[in-house]
Amino acid sequence: MPDFDISPILESWQFLATGIGVTILLSILSMAASVLLGTVLGIARVYGSRPLQLVITFYVDTMRSIPVLVVIVWIYFAVPILTGINFPPFWSALIAITIHITASVVEIVRAGVESIREGQCRAGLALGMSWPQVILNIVLPQAAIRMLPAIGSVLSVTIKDTAIASVIAVPEFMKRAETVASQSYQPMEVFTFAIFVYFLLLFPTTRTVDFIYRRIAHLGRS
Amino acid sequence: MTLDWSIVWLNKEALAEGALMTIVLTVLTMGLAVPLGIVLAFMRLSKWRSLALLSQCFVELFRNIPLILIVYWSFYVIPILIPVQFSAFTTGLVALVLCVSAYNAETFRAGINSVRHGQTNAGLALGMSQFQVMKEIILPQAARRVLPILATTWVSLFKDTSLVSVIAVGELSHVALQIRSQSFRVLEMLTAMAVIYWMMGYPQAKLSDWVRKKFEVKE
Repeated sequence: MPDFDISPILESWQFLATGIGVTILLSILSMAASVLLGTVLGIARVYGSRPLQLVITFYVDTMRSIPVLVVIVWIYFAVPILTGINFPPFWSALIAITIHITASVVEIVRAGVESIREGQCRAGLALGMSWPQVILNIVLPQAAIRMLPAIGSVLSVTIKDTAIASVIAVPEFMKRAETVASQSYQPMEVFTFAIFVYFLLLFPTTRTVDFIYRRIAHLGRS
Repeated sequence: MTLDWSIVWLNKEALAEGALMTIVLTVLTMGLAVPLGIVLAFMRLSKWRSLALLSQCFVELFRNIPLILIVYWSFYVIPILIPVQFSAFTTGLVALVLCVSAYNAETFRAGINSVRHGQTNAGLALGMSQFQVMKEIILPQAARRVLPILATTWVSLFKDTSLVSVIAVGELSHVALQIRSQSFRVLEMLTAMAVIYWMMGYPQAKLSDWVRKKFEVKE
């Protein structure tokens, strides 16, 4: 068993810490964008016109069949050739991860919305509410609570996906750890440390979502 | 902007080999991760606390770190810890198996736990042994519930094999990215890569939907 020397981690702690910051920022931004877009598309998937439904289904199934790595690399390298606009790696990663995660959110929103019994919509309409009112005031609040566990696992997937952004040199934690590992020639220490960091980032996050869900699950019952 | 799509056709053999490697990786990983997942699930449910704890730690660890980090870790750290030099392929396979068996363990555990406890009691009351109850009552029902989740994991795994490209395993994305950097036909190669993944992944995604519908359990 070789010695465990953590000096490279201590020496570049600021470099690594800002990487963790970028990982968190990228995760929060892509998650927020995906939830927003996914909710809109998910509702359109259920209540929209038939052609719209088909287009959204096709988009979702396409994202289910293409690796996120491929989407990230394509957005970063191919989009500038097509449009002539160069995005910085961070923005490319944000766009690519959002496109990928939105597809998962669409499916979750669809399942959540469809789980609300139709009678409730009819009751709302019978009371004189408009469709947007029914969706916003009756369907979404209940569906949102039922969706929470699934959204929690998507959040965990999102954080893990940001590590893949290291292949286009987004200065997030995975990339930073890789840099420190190769410059210090101490990959064992640095990568093991990285495992700790990611675990400490992901484990409490998923546990918190589960905890919140257990506290509010009864609100989603009907 | 001039596009030259012939580059894709010129490299058809390399791309086909890469696609084959992607399939081989997916099949081998699942083939190893299913038995390992079953072992981990039974460890988790066993009476011995230390076994259960060990399994829980393994599962929680590998479910809560990015696969790409497991790949890097396996590539750089395993050779330091044990004096055996694995090929990139074996290393990638080990990383994938570690990750997927953790997911499978949770799947199997949830499947076994989803069979109501009353059924176990009923079996025991009828004079069956613990083993018989597991074999005759719980596992057949659990299997139905596990299969759709395994199908979903399969589709994710198929996509995740792309991540072993970072340690130069010659699967589809590594091959395509290599041709891209040698030929500078960036747009063509990246689009071809996406389309090939799509052609392989789309039927699998649809198949997993079908499995889900077919085996759905309603209580």
